[in-house]
Amino acid sequence: MLAIEGLAKRFGTATALDGVTFQVRPGEVFGFVGGNGAGKTTTMRIVLGVLDPDAGTVSWRGSPVDATVRRRIGYLPEERGLYPKMRVTEHLVYLARLHGMSRSAARDAAATWTGRVGLAERRHDEVQKLSLGNQQRVQLCAALVHDPDVLVLDEPFSGLDPAAVDTLSEVLRERAAAGIPVIFSSHQLELVERLCDRVGIISAGRMAAVGTVDDLRAASAERYDVTGPPAGWADGLPGVRVLDTDGARTRVELEPGTDDQKLLAAALQAGPVHAFGPYRPPLSELYRDAVADRPGTGGPA
Amino acid sequence: MNRVAATIALVARREVSTQVRSRTFVIGLVLMLAVFGGYGAVFAFVGSQTSEASLVLDGQAHELREDLRSAADRQGLQLTLTEAGNRATAESMVRGGEADAMLTGGFGTFQLVGRDDVGAGLRTLVTGVVEQRAVTDALSAAGADPDRVSALSGVGIRTLEPADPERGQRIAIALAVTFLLFFSVTAYGAAVAQGVVEEKSGRVVELLLATIPATQLLAGKIVGLGLVGLLQLLILGAVGTVVALATGLLAVPAVLAGTLLSAVVWYLVGFFLFATLYAAAGALVSRQEELQSVTAPVAVPLLVPLLLAVAVLPTDPHNTVTTVLSYVPFFSQTLMPARTALGAAAWWEVLIALALALAALVGMVLLSARVYRNSVLRTGARVGWREALKRP
Repeated sequence: MLAIEGLAKRFGTATALDGVTFQVRPGEVFGFVGGNGAGKTTTMRIVLGVLDPDAGTVSWRGSPVDATVRRRIGYLPEERGLYPKMRVTEHLVYLARLHGMSRSAARDAAATWTGRVGLAERRHDEVQKLSLGNQQRVQLCAALVHDPDVLVLDEPFSGLDPAAVDTLSEVLRERAAAGIPVIFSSHQLELVERLCDRVGIISAGRMAAVGTVDDLRAASAERYDVTGPPAGWADGLPGVRVLDTDGARTRVELEPGTDDQKLLAAALQAGPVHAFGPYRPPLSELYRDAVADRPGTGGPA
Repeated sequence: MNRVAATIALVARREVSTQVRSRTFVIGLVLMLAVFGGYGAVFAFVGSQTSEASLVLDGQAHELREDLRSAADRQGLQLTLTEAGNRATAESMVRGGEADAMLTGGFGTFQLVGRDDVGAGLRTLVTGVVEQRAVTDALSAAGADPDRVSALSGVGIRTLEPADPERGQRIAIALAVTFLLFFSVTAYGAAVAQGVVEEKSGRVVELLLATIPATQLLAGKIVGLGLVGLLQLLILGAVGTVVALATGLLAVPAVLAGTLLSAVVWYLVGFFLFATLYAAAGALVSRQEELQSVTAPVAVPLLVPLLLAVAVLPTDPHNTVTTVLSYVPFFSQTLMPARTALGAAAWWEVLIALALALAALVGMVLLSARVYRNSVLRTGARVGWREALKRP
């Protein structure tokens, strides 16, 4: 298990992280979401040892992450960058060997991954000759080429075309199925919801919520969609708050302890009810709720 | 430890293969060979100017033939003497460039005639011989013994320390070594700074530092570029030696071999000393354009000893200032090998200077690693030295 505990980091007078704690289990895809400047990249940099925390620890399988463990992590930094004049295969082999792979294993892995992301024809081209999208694919290969035990990917989906998004999603699920923890950040919340076993929402340097999307839903107040009764029917009902109205559909939120049967009874009294059921908010709504009461954060870009 | 060495070797190998394939390496090599060639050609030209002369004798001048020959031998001048049947022939020989000058006339009216100038060597030789002959004849006429007068008037010249017959060659070698070292240390020190900025501005450094420790990345880069510089130094040294020996410009292989060995040792010391400084400077900035402003101060300690070695040492190998500075790290890598090449430094002096330079190197490595680690991931505005030197 990759355990991140109580990370704190200040840059000058600005607090970047304040007690960030969460775990990523082996075989789990963990989605790390938060606004710009919320602390995602800082957290990932600390995990990779590129940045030192002011407080807190990062441990892997119960012991602190050191240089030996870091060799076994696959990292996609937010700031992409490769040697522009190196050839694709040459570059990937070099990085794999820095991670401790033998030359022949590195060659094989470079061939496998470039093929997987559709760069088989470009293996002998200089990195600078590739389009930005293809450079991004090389960068993904760089994170995967040494068969890492942990994957830490900062915005891996940004800049990818739909085909590449599908390939990468497939690769992430497959790596997780092989038993490694995968953590990635993204602003594409539908993608995160679809792909991730668990989600961590960070806001202004603190974890606002951590859990499965269902956990997050369960933690939020119950919501119901009622179709039928005329507008305004639910105004003033005790323990009920109207969220929005769309034609004949009214969406309400119940305070804890409010009986949904009483809500149904009130609706029937106001008019014919054509549909009545719980509303499952998507991650994007849960995210907005989680960060809503935190000052100084923007929404997902 | 094994893994550390393997990582440093990997990084170094990448640097070597990238550099050797680059245009800079080839151009630098060709440029230096051209400079070398020019330097050698100038020396050869100057040498030929001073050691050879031809003189055509006309009329009474042929009586001076033997005196001229022996005087030329004493001065190490290779003198070709010819006699023309008449003045017109002699004059046409000078005009046509077959002879440097002609000597015509007789005692009291001797004239040394050149085309547009008479070389200083030839002028001194001929006037000396004519004067000597006149004095000898006058003494004989007065009844004195010219040989006795000559013996009495002679002043023996000797030096307390044995004179160095190879001094001219030593100066030539010392200058060559000085320039070679200056070029190698400057070029490859700057390459370190450039490489650091390249990784920083290209953002690849974050990926690298997430994989290997900063000190190993830095060490590999410096070792790799140092090896490329060494390779270039050895190529140039070998070419220079072969050319110098083949053309007979230098005739002391023993001196040359020792000097080359000392050049290699001092190159390594000097390079590593400055490379650490250049690496630290490079880590402070984020773009190539800003590099100049931080590396310019580094060039000062490189230039000062170069100027001293070129301007002061050849004429005054035992100068106090250069002697003292030749022990000081950052100066010693230029001044000590120059003094060694001039034969003005004892072996223990070299060892002391080396020990001091190595001690400085240890300090510089620690300091540079700290600056590098503190600054290399900070992009944007230039990082101040004080901030960069903060204990992490």
